[in-house]
Amino acid sequence: MDATAFAQETGPTITLLEVKDSPETRSVSFILSKTDLATANALRRVMIAEVPTMAIDLVEFESNTSVLTDEFLAHRLGLIPLNSEQVGTITYTRECSCQQYCPQCSVELHLNVRCTEDHTREVTTRDLVSSHTSIAPVLNGPNDRGILIAKLRKGQEINLRCIAKKGTAKEHAKWSPCAGVAFEYDPHNRLRHTTYWIEDDVKSEWPVSANGRFEPEVAEDEPFDYNAKPEAFYMTVEGTGALDPKEIVTTGLRILQAKLSLVQLLLKEIAEERGAVARPPMNGFH
Amino acid sequence: MAPTFRTLERQQQAVVPSRTGTQFPKLAKLAAPHIDSFNALFAGTTPAASSGAAALPSGPGLLERAVGDVGSRVVFDGQRDAPLADRNKLELWLSGITVAKPSIDAAKGALSNVMYPAECRERGVSYKAKMQIRLNWRINGGPIQTEARNLGSLPIMVRSSKCNLYGKSPYELVQHHEDAEEFGGYFISNGIERLVRLLIVPRRNHPTAIVRPSFQNRGPTYTKFGVSIRSVRPDQTSQTVTMHYCSDGAVTLRFSYRKNEYMVPVILVLRALCDASDREIFERITMGMYSNTFLTDRVELLLRSFRRYAVFSRKQALSYLGSKFAVMLDSPEDAFEEDVGREFLRKIILVHLNDAKSKFDLIIFMLQKLYSLVAGDCAQDNPDSLQFQETLLAGHLFVGIIKEKLGDYLDAIKTQINTDLRRSASTVNFSDKKYMQRVFARCSGAADIGKKLEYFLATGNLVSNTGLDLQQVSGYTIVGEKLNFYRYISHFRSIHRGSFFAELKTTTVRKLLPESWGFLCPVHTPDGAPCGLLNHLSHKCEIMLDQIDVSHIPQLVASLGAGQISGQGPRVAAAVPDSDRGHSDAMDVDGDDYGDDDNDDDAEHGDQDGVVADAGAELRNRKKVLVSVQLDGRVIGWCRDSVAQRIAQTLRDWKVRQLHRVPATLEIGYVPPTRGGQYPGLFLFSSPARMVRPVRYLATGGTDYVGPFEQVYMNVACMNEDVVPGLTTHQEFDPTDMLSVVANMTPFSDFNQSPRNMYQCQMGKQSMGTPAQNLFHRTDNKLYRLQTGQSPIVRPNAHNDYGLDGYPNGMNAVVCVISYTGYDMEDASIIAKSSYERGYGYGTIYKGEWVDLAEHRRRGEPITHHFGFVAAGETETTLSEKALTRALQFIDLDGLPIVGVRLTQGDPMYAYVDDVTGKVYIKDYKGMEDAYVDQVRLIGSDSGDQELQKIHIRLRIPRPPIIGDKFSSRHGQKGVISQKWPSIDMPFSESGIIPDVIINPHAFPSRMTIGMFVESLAGKAGALHGHSQDATPFRFNENHAAADFFGEELAKAGFNYHGNEPMYSGITGQEFKADIYIGVVYYQRLRHMVSDKYQVRTTGPVHNLTQQPVKGRKRAGGIRFGEMERDSLLAHGVSFLLKDRLMNCSDYSQCHVCRLCGSILSPMQRRLGVAGETLDATVPSGGAAAATTASDPASAGRVVECMTCGTSRGIEVIAIPYVFRYLCTELVAMNIKLRLDIAHRA
Repeated sequence: MDATAFAQETGPTITLLEVKDSPETRSVSFILSKTDLATANALRRVMIAEVPTMAIDLVEFESNTSVLTDEFLAHRLGLIPLNSEQVGTITYTRECSCQQYCPQCSVELHLNVRCTEDHTREVTTRDLVSSHTSIAPVLNGPNDRGILIAKLRKGQEINLRCIAKKGTAKEHAKWSPCAGVAFEYDPHNRLRHTTYWIEDDVKSEWPVSANGRFEPEVAEDEPFDYNAKPEAFYMTVEGTGALDPKEIVTTGLRILQAKLSLVQLLLKEIAEERGAVARPPMNGFH
Repeated sequence: MAPTFRTLERQQQAVVPSRTGTQFPKLAKLAAPHIDSFNALFAGTTPAASSGAAALPSGPGLLERAVGDVGSRVVFDGQRDAPLADRNKLELWLSGITVAKPSIDAAKGALSNVMYPAECRERGVSYKAKMQIRLNWRINGGPIQTEARNLGSLPIMVRSSKCNLYGKSPYELVQHHEDAEEFGGYFISNGIERLVRLLIVPRRNHPTAIVRPSFQNRGPTYTKFGVSIRSVRPDQTSQTVTMHYCSDGAVTLRFSYRKNEYMVPVILVLRALCDASDREIFERITMGMYSNTFLTDRVELLLRSFRRYAVFSRKQALSYLGSKFAVMLDSPEDAFEEDVGREFLRKIILVHLNDAKSKFDLIIFMLQKLYSLVAGDCAQDNPDSLQFQETLLAGHLFVGIIKEKLGDYLDAIKTQINTDLRRSASTVNFSDKKYMQRVFARCSGAADIGKKLEYFLATGNLVSNTGLDLQQVSGYTIVGEKLNFYRYISHFRSIHRGSFFAELKTTTVRKLLPESWGFLCPVHTPDGAPCGLLNHLSHKCEIMLDQIDVSHIPQLVASLGAGQISGQGPRVAAAVPDSDRGHSDAMDVDGDDYGDDDNDDDAEHGDQDGVVADAGAELRNRKKVLVSVQLDGRVIGWCRDSVAQRIAQTLRDWKVRQLHRVPATLEIGYVPPTRGGQYPGLFLFSSPARMVRPVRYLATGGTDYVGPFEQVYMNVACMNEDVVPGLTTHQEFDPTDMLSVVANMTPFSDFNQSPRNMYQCQMGKQSMGTPAQNLFHRTDNKLYRLQTGQSPIVRPNAHNDYGLDGYPNGMNAVVCVISYTGYDMEDASIIAKSSYERGYGYGTIYKGEWVDLAEHRRRGEPITHHFGFVAAGETETTLSEKALTRALQFIDLDGLPIVGVRLTQGDPMYAYVDDVTGKVYIKDYKGMEDAYVDQVRLIGSDSGDQELQKIHIRLRIPRPPIIGDKFSSRHGQKGVISQKWPSIDMPFSESGIIPDVIINPHAFPSRMTIGMFVESLAGKAGALHGHSQDATPFRFNENHAAADFFGEELAKAGFNYHGNEPMYSGITGQEFKADIYIGVVYYQRLRHMVSDKYQVRTTGPVHNLTQQPVKGRKRAGGIRFGEMERDSLLAHGVSFLLKDRLMNCSDYSQCHVCRLCGSILSPMQRRLGVAGETLDATVPSGGAAAATTASDPASAGRVVECMTCGTSRGIEVIAIPYVFRYLCTELVAMNIKLRLDIAHRA
């Protein structure tokens, strides 16, 4: 699909509102406008479920004498966000030419901790040693102690090998780059998509969200426009740390674009098979 | 300040357990009734949970008392008919019982032989300690000889004074592999934790008026009226005596002794107790009320009817009793009848009293009550009401059993000697030490009381020849299941009415009576069969076990104005002088609070009676009412009712103020005279096994311990607004005091419809949670565990008080009330797939399996089986290379499973080898689900020098939630998971929150679980502000509404006041028409999982007689398509489906039938004998015989012929259900021929 696809209506616009990049929150807020609800929601869905990241998928236990069971530990390891900036360089295992997994489609991480001290040894993501230069557990600066994986008492040890693979949250939530995607349109309920439950007064019982400032309030005597469609979508994308939120949005857009173009391509093929006579009219596309 | 989660505090406690005392005193006291009652067995222990009462300084233990009460047995040697003077007399008796602490028997060279409960659990043995007794005997009154005898091992209650964990701090408990807050109260029987269930028994030492039609079956002239008393001896064994009223004026005492019933005329007993004349007895019973002709007539009749016995003096009466009961009591042959009579009175009649005068007084009282009942002056007492009930406790039951068995032991010795005498009298020589030793050795079976107690604990069956005055023989003990902590706790608090009542058709015993307020939880009782019979103690209810000192109470009562009836002389009401009324400083104080009694109580009674025409006359009579004052079933005085009331008030005041040494747990039950009400009197109780509970005494603000007897006549306000000035004397400390521990855990239960709270009490006990903290040291058969348990955001105060954060029972879930997918109908709920993937509700089942190779050999034989692959003395295994390689994938060379290995059905689990044959046995894993080997525990013998013979394998089965698994909130809202819905398709809020769980709004209107809405609201606010929420019931009211309180918190966080939010469809992104109720609710995962229940089958095993599918999930059987299902298909007219179910999928079979004779049994297959013999040409081409021969090569050369017709001409193949053939055969066996008419379809 070419860039002129949306050109007819000057195309959807993204207005960046805020970028937070602190150890506590990594998020990006923006207004997506001049597009329809379906597209906006599709972007939301793609960002949550289809932006690929890296996550530990296989765990081979050499020894585990901790109090946590193997499967429980493996589950915990899977949920650890790995820095996935380089996820583009990795192929999906299912698309790789190798037999099981290989450096092209996986990253190996090692966890080998043994408690020899008298006090409890906390095993954190800092102990996870990656074989890749950048695909490794996310850490926020040198003071970050990492995510706690397990605690060991004297004499206990964990020795295991993890295989991180590329994947999407469609398959398992551990591959989701998003912690949450806030999504809102029509903060003043101008479109009357919803009916608020009220006891006395809408204004006092339903605080207008922060996004209300971008749209005019509904005047008391304003006539209801039943043809109106939502146009501006207020979104905030908060990442898990695996990917930069900006990256999530751009990747999301790219994936959405690729999907749409695939649809277009396939439709075109169908049309050509039928002899290019009855070309179905497509809204916005031709 | 908002309540916090105390995370750091708890962390600190977990890392460094306290070295001094428990963090959760309330939790530690949960099992107090069990432990204190067990401690009472032994001397010198003050109960741990004493409620501030003046405990007696280390009196003799109950065991010691019981041993003293067993008495002696007397045997004479020589010939039976020889004069007694020529025979030697042997007296046997017991004394000095001692119980050690649990230890290991044969610990050679061990560092310590101290046995701890954890070891018993892990090894699957019992926690018990050696018990010894001194057996004494003397011959012809000569010098006493003594010998110590072993009584076997007494099961020891964990954390009792005989337990090695007694008084240990949390730190030490953890050192000994227990939970830091282990509270004990149970026994360990073969590694299983079992406890003696609390039982409800009639209140001791209180005559109860009973009207029971079945009394009429006792004999002719017996009426339905009776007064029953369960007398309890100081050693806590009891003897019930019932006084019956007969229509001919006689009154008899009925009792049962060694499961036989006996009746004695009451006058006979009275006469034996006291040298009272007829006139004196008359005066005592009537007490000057000559105008009451009903009474005087009856008493006259009673006395007259006894004259035929011609027993006039005490001596005569005693001899008479002695002559009749000598055999029953098995009294010594040389005992005088009079002494036997005395012994009878001591052992049977009102055994709680030790002197004849008290017994006489109490029988008089019982007679008065009986006549009053018959006359209709007083009402019957309700034996189903808690007012007339108390508890039967583990310790008290134990004493009873031990006492009986000790008696049996002496009897066994006596029987043995008598047997010897019968066989050859010359061998019997009492002074021969060897002979005595032989006798004792022969009776060692009867001496092993420990074994009998162990049997009792392991089975709950009471093997007894006295019946111990109890109504049931089984169901005394239960397993303390550690399914989750709620269930575990409630075992200790459960109290059963008795299995006798479970069979009763009437439901009156199951009723929730107001008398049980504050003692039994109104919410926490199961649905169904045990409903109302199995109750749970309210969490503030305690069971009194202190032996409190009440020796000074009679004087105190006398000083307050209760008179004595001296001698047997009459005492008319008018003779009670006003000056008898006590005056003390306390009384003056009372005067203001309670007003003038003299005027007040009369008016009060008038009120109770309602408007009565002759109220004036009633009142005038009432004035003269004399009531009895009793302390623990002993008449300690008589006084006018108003005096009694004043005494009660004064005593209560002193009791709360701790004046005049009135014990804090003394029960002061003043029953005022009413017309047709309960029989009046002032009844004081100090005995153990009573329930008590603390309430606030308004006059001083102090704590008053109230019992169920007195509570009925007290004015206890619940809430502040219930206090009526001048009337209310007491108030509840907290309205939640009436709830049990588990019922207290339901958040905002006061908002819910009441049955929902009952359901939650059940479901809370069925949820997967954290059963224990010492999981590593547990060997339970089955253990459920929730891996991702959380501390609830919304929790009642009791949750903190009982330290339940250590045992999480569920998880906080974001719950959205919306009908979204159509998959949430009928209580199904949807969970977000991503929540599931992040560990929501992830559970595990642990299954234990014992393997004991000693079972393959007899005791004492040398070891012949070893774990491993190689027999002893061999160098190589007999196993094939292939089998060995496969086995070694799962089993180590030592024959034990490799820890961590995953087992699928049929995988080898362990291996052992038989020395004799050299054969290696590989045992497979039989479970249907995949499991991981979690632990392999090697179990040694007591001495620890034996080769490994016993192991315990613990398997771990992961159970992530799957569709069909059951979840519930804490409000009786259960449902199954219907879908794991992709997160992107889930509805979401503006802030991007995706709910974990979606439930259908239809779950609410009919169930009215408003508490769940409030919890949702509170949970959301708590999560937003980061603090926990107090969900204690009865904290909110109309003026201080929960919705407003939490609404404001929500509004402060920028959310809608009512907890709703605009939400968007995850599929279209469109905002929903309605805003959605979303919040945080604590969810429990219930143990009912589809993995344990699903039953599917296409083909599978069939029954070999009928060829029909077998039944049962375990055998891969089918589910019966029964008659009603068949009817349904018939009604639909779906004949093909009908045939498919009942025939094709069941026992479809083909068989030959002879068209000619119509039999399906006569066609037989025959090999074609002669070469060249061909088929009968007359067989139709489509016939069966042709078909079978032609198409089936196996049957080539065979022919089917009818044995009766002798031809294969009529043979056809038809399809029939196989059972039909079976039916035919059975009919043939009965000489019935079944003929089938076969024709080809047109």
